[in-house]
Amino acid sequence: MRSTAATWALSYVLLGLAALAAFAVPLWYAWNVTIFSGRQEILLDDAQRLTEVFNRDGVAALTAHINARVGMQIAGERTLLLTDSSYHRLAGNLAAWPRDIPSNSGTHAVWVDLAGQATRTLFAQSTLPGGYHLLVGRDLSRFVPLERRFTWGLLAAVTFLLLVGVTGAILMRRKVLTRVQDIRQSVSAIMQGDLRHRLPAAKSGDELDTLSQTLNGMLDHIEYLIRGISNVSNSIAHDLRTPLAELRSRLEELALTRPPPAETFAEIDAAVADVDRVMRIFNALLRLAEIDSGARRSGFVRVDAAAVAAEVVEFYEPAAEQKGVVFSFQAAGDAAVAGDPVLLAQAVSNLIDNSLKSVSERGAISVRVEQRADGAVQIAVADDGPGIADADKPKAAERFFRGDASRGSPGVGLGLSIVDAVAKLHGGVLQLLDNHPGLLAQMVLPVGPVRSAR
Amino acid sequence: MKILVVEDNERVARFVTRGLREAGHTVEHADNGRDGMFIAASEPYDVIVMDRMLPGNIDGLAIIEALRKAGNRTPILILSALNDVDERIRGLRSGGDDYLTKPFAFGELLARLDALGRRGANHGADRTLQVGDLRMDLLSRRVTRGSRTITLQPREFKLLEYLMRRANQVVTRTMLLEAVWDYNFDPQTNVVDVHISKLRQKIELDSERPLVRTVRNAGYMMTEHE
Repeated sequence: MRSTAATWALSYVLLGLAALAAFAVPLWYAWNVTIFSGRQEILLDDAQRLTEVFNRDGVAALTAHINARVGMQIAGERTLLLTDSSYHRLAGNLAAWPRDIPSNSGTHAVWVDLAGQATRTLFAQSTLPGGYHLLVGRDLSRFVPLERRFTWGLLAAVTFLLLVGVTGAILMRRKVLTRVQDIRQSVSAIMQGDLRHRLPAAKSGDELDTLSQTLNGMLDHIEYLIRGISNVSNSIAHDLRTPLAELRSRLEELALTRPPPAETFAEIDAAVADVDRVMRIFNALLRLAEIDSGARRSGFVRVDAAAVAAEVVEFYEPAAEQKGVVFSFQAAGDAAVAGDPVLLAQAVSNLIDNSLKSVSERGAISVRVEQRADGAVQIAVADDGPGIADADKPKAAERFFRGDASRGSPGVGLGLSIVDAVAKLHGGVLQLLDNHPGLLAQMVLPVGPVRSAR
Repeated sequence: MKILVVEDNERVARFVTRGLREAGHTVEHADNGRDGMFIAASEPYDVIVMDRMLPGNIDGLAIIEALRKAGNRTPILILSALNDVDERIRGLRSGGDDYLTKPFAFGELLARLDALGRRGANHGADRTLQVGDLRMDLLSRRVTRGSRTITLQPREFKLLEYLMRRANQVVTRTMLLEAVWDYNFDPQTNVVDVHISKLRQKIELDSERPLVRTVRNAGYMMTEHE
């Protein structure tokens, strides 16, 4: 299996080798060329000086000079040899003229027998007047340990690099692979339907963990949505089943018992009412879908939320009066928002509707529209009814949720969902709070960004 | 009234034509757009009921636009399964006069057709409206019954005006919601009924003859007749 980690490690090893080469090659070059040619020059100089001695003082003086130098120097440092025209040794520390030396002038590196030891030596030869031959040499083996050390050092570095690279690749591959494997297993588990499964994510904060955490966040959201969908489907099925079951039994009973016309028609009217109930649920769902799609946002205009609420309050006033409910309305500050007046009216209407259903006779409902300190417009509907239990508050705006308090009253359980959706469409939120006693439902609609985007 | 129904669904068409005939109207039926267009163009009708989705994927709105282009001004009620606000607006913009979503209560359809058919007759620039001894002066905004002056809130005035303009016609709760309050949603409580009963208390004293009748399964009707 191809592994990203291994590929990366290999690339790094190659990169390291290249860097090492970039360091060693110029060094090697400097060593070989600069030092070598410097040494050549010294040899040639030396030969030149000896030639001058010969020219000035003759062969005897040169022989004495060479013998003196050979006697003084440390063994092997310099090789000197003076011969006559037939290569017979006159002076020097070399036994015989080496055979491998070419006759042309210049420097040559050859193996010679030096004090019984084969030594690589660099020679400069020159032919003196009168057929004498002069050989000046320098032992190269002095630098062999240094060169060897350099080579060994280089080899060690390469080996170290390879070792570290390969080990790193293996470790990295194993570590990354294990974690990628973990992620893959988790994802397959999730794909097989275990939506609660999450990717392993440590707190180390490295890239894989960040990725896992992001994926987990996505999974949370997907799970939430799927649960929402399945909840809604369940609820739709359940909420539709009840009126449909009633409808069915009504019709079946009619067909079976064939009652007198008056009773039959009463039953038919009731059946139509059942169908209307189903239709109301559908209409509310379609309205929700329409709001959720966000399509209505294109029709946003500048709306005075206070005026909208005032109209709805006026609309409900007779109904509240009939129930003996104290109904009050207050507005403060600039309540202009960018929004859909009909949807805002429907949201306020749903809130008042809910309160009106929940409060007892001679209860109280108050509607307040105000601009908050942060500029957001807040539409609050408060009542002194039974309210919503704290545990139910987060779920209250979910589709088809019906709290215990509203179980017996008419309605399809979508009222607060619509308010919530309308608030979200306007970039705001629906908050359900305790009114001690009762429910305080407030829609908070931000003004700034929406208005500027208008 | 002479009514043309363009509707391809056989059951809905039968239900509508039967009901309208029962209500005393003359009804013609076309089950496709081409026939509908031909009949509408060849004979004058008081109202046309136009389904939106017709066989052969013809949009009823295209037929309405064609009729309007040809100079036909007959009021048209659009029947549609599409309930988006945008669809409603599109329907009315194409030249339709009213929009009713399927499925609908027959009473709703009948009331709306009545309103459409009589629109020209009863929607002039009247200065006063009168039903029995109830009079409404639209300029001074004074309402009297016999010698008694009735004080109304602005919204009550609008509600009464709507009812009086359509005297002897059924108006549904939805029509009232749309016309008087501009709301196109259904409040879950019977708020409209409460408004009507409050209005009744003001215009019908115990000694007076009732003027607003409740029509079962449909809505209300203002009439001086029993």
